[in-house]
Amino acid sequence: MIDLPVAWANYISMGIFIFLGCLVWIVPKKAILAGQSETDRWRDLRIWAMVLIGLQLTIYWIFS
Amino acid sequence: MHPLDLAIIIGYLALITFVGIKLGSKVKNAHDFFLAGRSLTWWVIGLSIIGTNIDTNSYVGASGNAYNVGIAQANFEWIGAIPAMIIASLIFIPLYWRAGVYSIPEYLGLRYNQGVRVVAALIASIFAVFALGVAMWALALTLETYLGWPIWVGILVSGTVVGLYSIAGGLAAVAITDSIQVSIMFLCGIIIVGIGISDAGGFSAFATTLTQDNPTHLQAYLPADDEGFPWPGVILGLGFVLSPAYWIGSQAILQRTLGARTQWDASASMMFAALAKTFIPLLVVFPGILALVMKADIDYPDMALPWVIKNVLPPGISGLMFVAIIAALQSSIDSGVNSTSLMITRDIRHVLMKNHDTANDLKVGRYLTLVLLLSSMCIAPFIGDLGGIFTFLQTILSLFQGPMLALLLLGAMTQRATPMAGLWTLVSGVLVSALLLIVLEWNLLYVAFVSFCYSMVALWTVSGFTEKLSAEKLATLTYRPWSRT
Repeated sequence: MIDLPVAWANYISMGIFIFLGCLVWIVPKKAILAGQSETDRWRDLRIWAMVLIGLQLTIYWIFS
Repeated sequence: MHPLDLAIIIGYLALITFVGIKLGSKVKNAHDFFLAGRSLTWWVIGLSIIGTNIDTNSYVGASGNAYNVGIAQANFEWIGAIPAMIIASLIFIPLYWRAGVYSIPEYLGLRYNQGVRVVAALIASIFAVFALGVAMWALALTLETYLGWPIWVGILVSGTVVGLYSIAGGLAAVAITDSIQVSIMFLCGIIIVGIGISDAGGFSAFATTLTQDNPTHLQAYLPADDEGFPWPGVILGLGFVLSPAYWIGSQAILQRTLGARTQWDASASMMFAALAKTFIPLLVVFPGILALVMKADIDYPDMALPWVIKNVLPPGISGLMFVAIIAALQSSIDSGVNSTSLMITRDIRHVLMKNHDTANDLKVGRYLTLVLLLSSMCIAPFIGDLGGIFTFLQTILSLFQGPMLALLLLGAMTQRATPMAGLWTLVSGVLVSALLLIVLEWNLLYVAFVSFCYSMVALWTVSGFTEKLSAEKLATLTYRPWSRT
């Protein structure tokens, strides 16, 4: 474990975020908007998650 | 201290007290006191979550660590938080909110049994009393450092201000004052970054100066053989276990989401908090790096932030930054007393006294909030002597993280986990953690990961031989979005 290169950590982190980005879309929109009368597109929290994941991918790419 | 700085500090304390007491008139029962009558909106909760999450360790300690290790310190805000916050937002928070519970131990009690509920509440409450004492001591120390107030005056003033608004207004006052406090923190963070980058001659000059003497300070991870934060340990222990255990299991954090006016507000609040969390390193990591770039003359790393406040910020802004540090501490104390009061009132008192009558919960909750504050004020002056006990309690708490995460994960995501398997896994999982940490002296990050893996296997296996909850109960206590119409 001691010889593992540091660069791997960034690749693994980015991989985790990409995997999470795929998993997010398994959650049905109706579950996110349950009980809501307003169903505007901006209320879809999967899109919020994508913005967050995009930011994280950028961060780990810059600081690699 | 400049008179303008002093005026800003006094104005802030008066504003927070006024807002909190004003909200107190709306509190009619325990539901209002502990869950704000389920009236909170997503952005207030989101800011409040961040306020609760940032404490003195985040500000002073993280800046000091960043001075030593650079941007790697920010992993606590990124890989060590964001994935878990997204999962909490989309899966766990909707589940808790729909179950109508007041606390995470209450959810565990419904999903497993009352033994698990009491153990979870008891451990969290005992730890919270000492954590509150540490926070109160840190607040008094900060006031002594900047204003020259004796420690006992700082404790008295801090306890009185926090007590006035948290006893009167409950969760609503805590959440709204938190959101004001976090807004101040971010304002100060942006100003420090702006002034710091400008003084260093722009971002490129800043980065060049930093990496000349500290080539690894702009790398996100430390080597695998680093003693404190080896990168495999950070990803496996922090990213996969400690962070999810905190973001899906911490009562102080999640209580405000249970007070959301709708399920969507509850979920959106955590997503919004995650967005804010992404930029927290600007507040808590950047000052440490800035002190390094500006070649600060300091004796030890934890002096990095005070040095930046004193030497970089102009009068008025330094007062505001000082307010931000007080705010960070206050928001952790107010959330701690409110959530601990809730767990003792409902999860421990109701179960152990076998009395589920909620008529006296408001009165008991307010008394307990006062008692907790007074306890923390009494403990605070002796916290240096009690440091060993606090470290011991932190260790005990960490033993529960892996097993508790397994219980929440399998309990929420599957219908397989059974009440008896839950209790058995909790007990045996803690023993496994203790063996690895105390006897074999493993790094805490690896202990968390291995005890979590053990608990997942144990819970899954033992559940195959023990009795399940009824299908009707499981339907409301497990995440099954595809089966709902």
